[in-house]
Amino acid sequence: MKTANAIFINRGIMKLVKQPSAPIMGFAMSLFFLLVYNAGIGGVGNLEAFGTGGYLPFVFPIAIISLAMGSSAGAGQTLNADMQSGYFRRLYLSPAPRWILVVAPMLADTLSSLFFTMLLLAIAALFGVTFQFGMLSVFGILLLSLLWSLTLCGFSAGIMLRTGQHQSAAIVTNAVFPLLFLSTTFLPRELITSEWLLAVSWANPVTYILEGNRYLLAGTSPAEFFYFGLLITAVTSIASVVFALRSAKRIKI
Amino acid sequence: MTVEIEIRNLFKKYPNGTEALKGVSLDIGRGQFFTLLGPNGAGKSTLVKVMTTLISKDSGSFSISGMNPESNPAKIQHFIGVASQENEIDPTEKVENLLVFQGRLFGLSKAEATKRANELIELFQLSSERNKKASALSGGNKRRLHCALALVHRPQILFLDEPTVGMDPLARANFWDIITMLNRSQGVTVFLTTQYLDEADKHASEMALIVGGEIHFAGSIASFKKMVNPDGDLSLDDSYLKYIKSLNNNSISNNNEE
Repeated sequence: MKTANAIFINRGIMKLVKQPSAPIMGFAMSLFFLLVYNAGIGGVGNLEAFGTGGYLPFVFPIAIISLAMGSSAGAGQTLNADMQSGYFRRLYLSPAPRWILVVAPMLADTLSSLFFTMLLLAIAALFGVTFQFGMLSVFGILLLSLLWSLTLCGFSAGIMLRTGQHQSAAIVTNAVFPLLFLSTTFLPRELITSEWLLAVSWANPVTYILEGNRYLLAGTSPAEFFYFGLLITAVTSIASVVFALRSAKRIKI
Repeated sequence: MTVEIEIRNLFKKYPNGTEALKGVSLDIGRGQFFTLLGPNGAGKSTLVKVMTTLISKDSGSFSISGMNPESNPAKIQHFIGVASQENEIDPTEKVENLLVFQGRLFGLSKAEATKRANELIELFQLSSERNKKASALSGGNKRRLHCALALVHRPQILFLDEPTVGMDPLARANFWDIITMLNRSQGVTVFLTTQYLDEADKHASEMALIVGGEIHFAGSIASFKKMVNPDGDLSLDDSYLKYIKSLNNNSISNNNEE
């Protein structure tokens, strides 16, 4: 049934191509904030704590994180549309393994997120952002992006399947949003004066994704952040897929 | 008679406490045109959902073509085609694309799936709708497409749960021509639930009557008519009404006695 799996993933991608508003909005917002942050407070990049790369490579990882947040609701919306139309039952009665019905839209969303991450990387390179380890850095950033995106897609799809309302897929975005501000998003740890914010940032998984990306871009963070970031996002992405699949068992056919 | 569908002592209770199936047992022969009759809420759709693996049973057993559908739900889908009460179509896709996609899901190559889609478009008289999105179809054409999708992979057994609801008389006649052709010339087993008893009377030969999750009668339609009205010649519709009314009267008199 490898063919059926590929057909389902292809369908998920085509759904996004036909209705690209969510990923395009996510991309546009990420790019907008990247440019605004850099234009507004980019001058602080001259401080020593930002390394030699300046502010753009420092703030760039936030664009990748917010990109996945912007497009993660797509999987839930595809599933919801299929359930509302009754088509999910038709797909359920095909010889394809039933887990692929849930996983395929998540994978499609994740691939879409990866595509737009590559676009962001290309734009960043055009603006002079350098990659510490060349193509290895690019692959590392894409891997972190893939796992982070899968995490958000899985939880979004799972929540939608449990509630049966596509609006609820946005719960994940809303829940993750504050984490962006409880981290080293805008300033390196050395310049954060609040003790409680520093303490919270250590417990915030977003910190490890941000700093892991910074290790790969300008090399301003230690390698451990990248490895921890990989480990954390690998665990959360597995947990989110399991959550989505368990949620699918609750669907009333 | 080679038994195609064997159901033994099937029970199903929903989480809200409704006992939809209470020990249902049936044998349906290969190539039979079988109809399951019963009032609303009798358990007809639940039985179809259990047998097609959409929902799980609580206890009992059933087999289709000698296989246990629950142990291999993916494999059994190659043998069965299902057209349920509600349309199961993606409204955002075009008619032809939906049929081709369905064929691809069942392992047909793109060329085979396209050829099969064209056959079904002709058969269900959807040629002028081929490139329309499903959402733009009339109610009757949506039903035609819904039924065509159930036939893409040439199933050996067809589960039709109120298939003609919403079709105009011409579409219904066309639909039954297709189904009876499949049944008679290709030996496809048909398991039909319907409230249009004239359709059941005209096309089916065997039946079962389910009331309150229990089978009250299983046998030929002719024998049911004879059982209900030994002296006369009532239609299936009249025989069914007479039987259900007698059940209701018995229920009322039993309640009064209590």
